[in-house]
Amino acid sequence: MSESHHETKSGPFELIFNNLPVRTVLGLVLMFGGSYVSKNYQEVFEQISHQYGVPVDLGKTVATFGVFLIIFPLVNIFFIKPLADAIGERNSTLEQTFGEAEDLKVQMQKMRSEYEARLVETEADARQKIEAQIKEAQALRQTLMSEAAQRADELVARATQEIEAERNRVLTSIRTQVVDLALSAAEKVIAENMNTERNRKLVEDFISQVEVAR
Amino acid sequence: MEFLAGNLAPFIASAEKGEEHVGFVGILTYAIFVLIVIFCLMAYAKKGMNLRVFKNPILNCFEQLYLFIEKMCVGTIGSHGRKYVSILMTFWMVIFASNVCSLFFPAAPTADVGFNLGMALIAIGYVQYEGIKTNGFFGHLRHFGGPNLGNVLLAILINPLIFLIEIVSEVLKNVSLSLRLYGNIEGGHLAASAMNKLGEGIYVPFGAFLIPIKLLTCVVQALIFTLLLSVYISLVTHHDEPEVDHESADEKERWESGKIAEAMIH
Amino acid sequence: MNAIGIGIAVLGIAIGLGLIGFSAMQGMSRQPEAIGKMQTAMLIGMAFIEVVMLLLTFVILGSVTK
Repeated sequence: MSESHHETKSGPFELIFNNLPVRTVLGLVLMFGGSYVSKNYQEVFEQISHQYGVPVDLGKTVATFGVFLIIFPLVNIFFIKPLADAIGERNSTLEQTFGEAEDLKVQMQKMRSEYEARLVETEADARQKIEAQIKEAQALRQTLMSEAAQRADELVARATQEIEAERNRVLTSIRTQVVDLALSAAEKVIAENMNTERNRKLVEDFISQVEVAR
Repeated sequence: MEFLAGNLAPFIASAEKGEEHVGFVGILTYAIFVLIVIFCLMAYAKKGMNLRVFKNPILNCFEQLYLFIEKMCVGTIGSHGRKYVSILMTFWMVIFASNVCSLFFPAAPTADVGFNLGMALIAIGYVQYEGIKTNGFFGHLRHFGGPNLGNVLLAILINPLIFLIEIVSEVLKNVSLSLRLYGNIEGGHLAASAMNKLGEGIYVPFGAFLIPIKLLTCVVQALIFTLLLSVYISLVTHHDEPEVDHESADEKERWESGKIAEAMIH
Repeated sequence: MNAIGIGIAVLGIAIGLGLIGFSAMQGMSRQPEAIGKMQTAMLIGMAFIEVVMLLLTFVILGSVTK
């Protein structure tokens, strides 16, 4: 049962009731006709209302037709259609928004897991790097220390050599001086004692004693 | 009523016959007043309509009304009931606004038989129009004739009787619709004035304490008028039932998304 | 006499309304899922009974007393 089929069926009726200006004019005519009826048949209505206890006034009824004939399309166009559209649109946007939010949530979940994985990766990387650095530093320290030790050894060796050389020099100079002294002493002794053979032997003994005593 | 009448003299100036009933000009004034109130509210409610979430309180009320009437239409009339929402909602708003008007003013459009009879005639006329549109003229007449009894003798004897009864009931639908509304509103007025008379000696308007009950009556009468109209429409246009389930599921979904929207507001 | 008559009539109408409300309440308590449909049916039934009372009070009583 399609709608268009019926609408075409009752043509003239539709022509009157779906045409807004015609409807408005008809409504106004009915309203004024109602006032006319109400004014001219007042006594009849009063009689009826007196008889049945219900104050009926058919002029008002006729005018009501007119009022409703005008306000039905007016209210429909002015408010109810926009309201229905707004409610439908809002519902569809809400559904859409919920779908989008769901999508975003899934995306976020994905991004979060990715981020976490990357974080773990980065941490491992960093640890590895730190370890490598530490190892390098330790190696460097080792080499530096060994170099320093070598150098120190070298310095010590050179110092000992120098000390040795100095001492030897000093010893020789002392020996010559001692010999000179001894000679001068011997001169004195010779001046007193002419037994040179024996004296020289004494001196040499003395020197060897000095050498031993050193 | 007297204490109201004293304060609201300009509004009763249009009442031509004083206490008995309001004349044509008075009813027209009140009807225009009610319509102006409705249109002002609607114009105010249109402001927040393009937002994603409705924050306008008036618009929220209208939205709830719309959803309620849509649910009622789809529930009673069926899947094709959504196109009757506009007419039912207009009736609801006009009746409710004039009922509320009758709470605070000495007269109101719905407290008058003429206006109510007009509305009832429009409603029943619309039902006939829809019936003819759906079933065709003779199909609609056959609908009055009652069920097909099979036996020719029975059909000749009983179906005209059913036809007559149906026609009478169709006429009486107008009377019952209009008189129900009038009786409830005017009965409330009568009860209020009787109770006012009770407290006249001690200057206590007992009738004013009836206002909560009368407010309930306002809602219920507007609801019943639209509900009966939707039932009458469903009686003349019911066909192709299988679509109903699908529609109601759709409806449920929309209802749920509305609830989600509500939850988002809070 | 009129008062007694209207009293009796209202008694009957009240019993009818009460029966509708009673059975609707019972049905609602037994099947809370169907509250909406039951409320609709209950309101329609109540409206039909109510109109009897209104006819009585406004039309019949009005025409009898005058």
